[in-house]
Amino acid sequence: MILVPDVVSPIVVGLYAPAIIVGILVGLIGLFGISVEKNDLHVLILTDIVGIGMLIFVAAVGTDLAESLILPGLVVELAEILAISEILMSREMRKSGKTVELLPTPLHYNLEILQTAPVFLAIILIAYGAFLSGFTGGAIAGAGILFYVMSIKVRGVPSGVWEGLAGVSGMAWCLWLVGFLVLFVFPQYWLLGLMLAAFGVFIKVVFKVGIIGVMNREEFKKE
Amino acid sequence: MDITILGSQIIGIIPLGDIVFYFTQFNLFMFATALAFTAIVAISKTETQVEAEFGKLGDRAVTVAKKEFKIRRFLAIICGLATAGAMITGDLFDFTLFVCLTGIVNIGIVGAVRQVDVLDAAYQYGLIAMMASLPLFGGAALILAATGTLSLLEINSLTYTTPMMILGSILLFLGVAGETGVAPFFATKAEMFRTPGSPFLLIIHLSSLLILVRLIEILLMINKPF
Repeated sequence: MILVPDVVSPIVVGLYAPAIIVGILVGLIGLFGISVEKNDLHVLILTDIVGIGMLIFVAAVGTDLAESLILPGLVVELAEILAISEILMSREMRKSGKTVELLPTPLHYNLEILQTAPVFLAIILIAYGAFLSGFTGGAIAGAGILFYVMSIKVRGVPSGVWEGLAGVSGMAWCLWLVGFLVLFVFPQYWLLGLMLAAFGVFIKVVFKVGIIGVMNREEFKKE
Repeated sequence: MDITILGSQIIGIIPLGDIVFYFTQFNLFMFATALAFTAIVAISKTETQVEAEFGKLGDRAVTVAKKEFKIRRFLAIICGLATAGAMITGDLFDFTLFVCLTGIVNIGIVGAVRQVDVLDAAYQYGLIAMMASLPLFGGAALILAATGTLSLLEINSLTYTTPMMILGSILLFLGVAGETGVAPFFATKAEMFRTPGSPFLLIIHLSSLLILVRLIEILLMINKPF
């Protein structure tokens, strides 16, 4: 009972069983490590290895459906590890009676490039990101904005701009969601949905990195 | 619509691209139960709890501030909605994602109590939930590889069962057991249900029960023992 079409080469089909065995082995190694290890933090890291075994299982299927299933698997994995590490931190804080900030120290920059060439580099990054669009473009343009924020901070921050950016980011995220809804509910307008989703996620990721700038400035106020 | 699932006729489907929700009498009942309980959680005022006094006829009212339970009540509502979604989904991977959402939200509900012992229980539950994601997603991926589809309606119309599908079902069962099946034990270990103002946390029990029943339905659909 083989469902694979003939165009797929037999080597690729033959890789499935070894991949599943590797996934099981990775999971077992992780579980063995957890059973031996006593330090809580190490146990948490070893649990992540079991999660990687899960990703191997999904990836072994090897179709483009499997590719789209890896992303939610990865997100679930990250969400769980973030939640558990937060619980671990809050437990340790409660035990020791001390509190720790998420970003413990305010950052100190001492780079010459921040004084001399910030605007030029930021414009190049943002233009290139806008050209790429989508998630990758968002990351690149966001790096440009972050660079600009960092450099502008060296000379004094204009306040009130970045809160607005955070609001625009939220609205762009709604655009992204609307784009997905259009893809699902009205498949005949797929081009509109695709464009909404691509540019929504572009603007959102750009300004998300801008929000890191907001957090950074608040750290500076504390100093 | 002339599809029969485990002896009951399909009442209707909600087509959203390739994610199809479907209703039969069986899962429509469970969906309505989950939604009704979620609505009760959302509108009930549990801040004041009346306890009978021992040896007397008087009552004693215990009141807690609303703020204290805001986050936990929000998480309980999300938990109920995720359970309701898992009841009617017609996509196997969608089901595993709903189960994972329930698991993460349960970790949040248990972990919101600021005591060392409770946080210990939440931490161990989180580890088990994370380890269980391997058999959960792995089982779904094995079934995808063995049948070529994730749609429960398609799997239901298959006439054969291969050993790979049985292995996938066993892994799926292990995964759901670890992800939400053990949640009531950890919540009870932390004595959460007796704290004043939080009876709505019983949604943990309800979700784990409903998801296990739904999982058994899915396993019967995959393996067709009858």
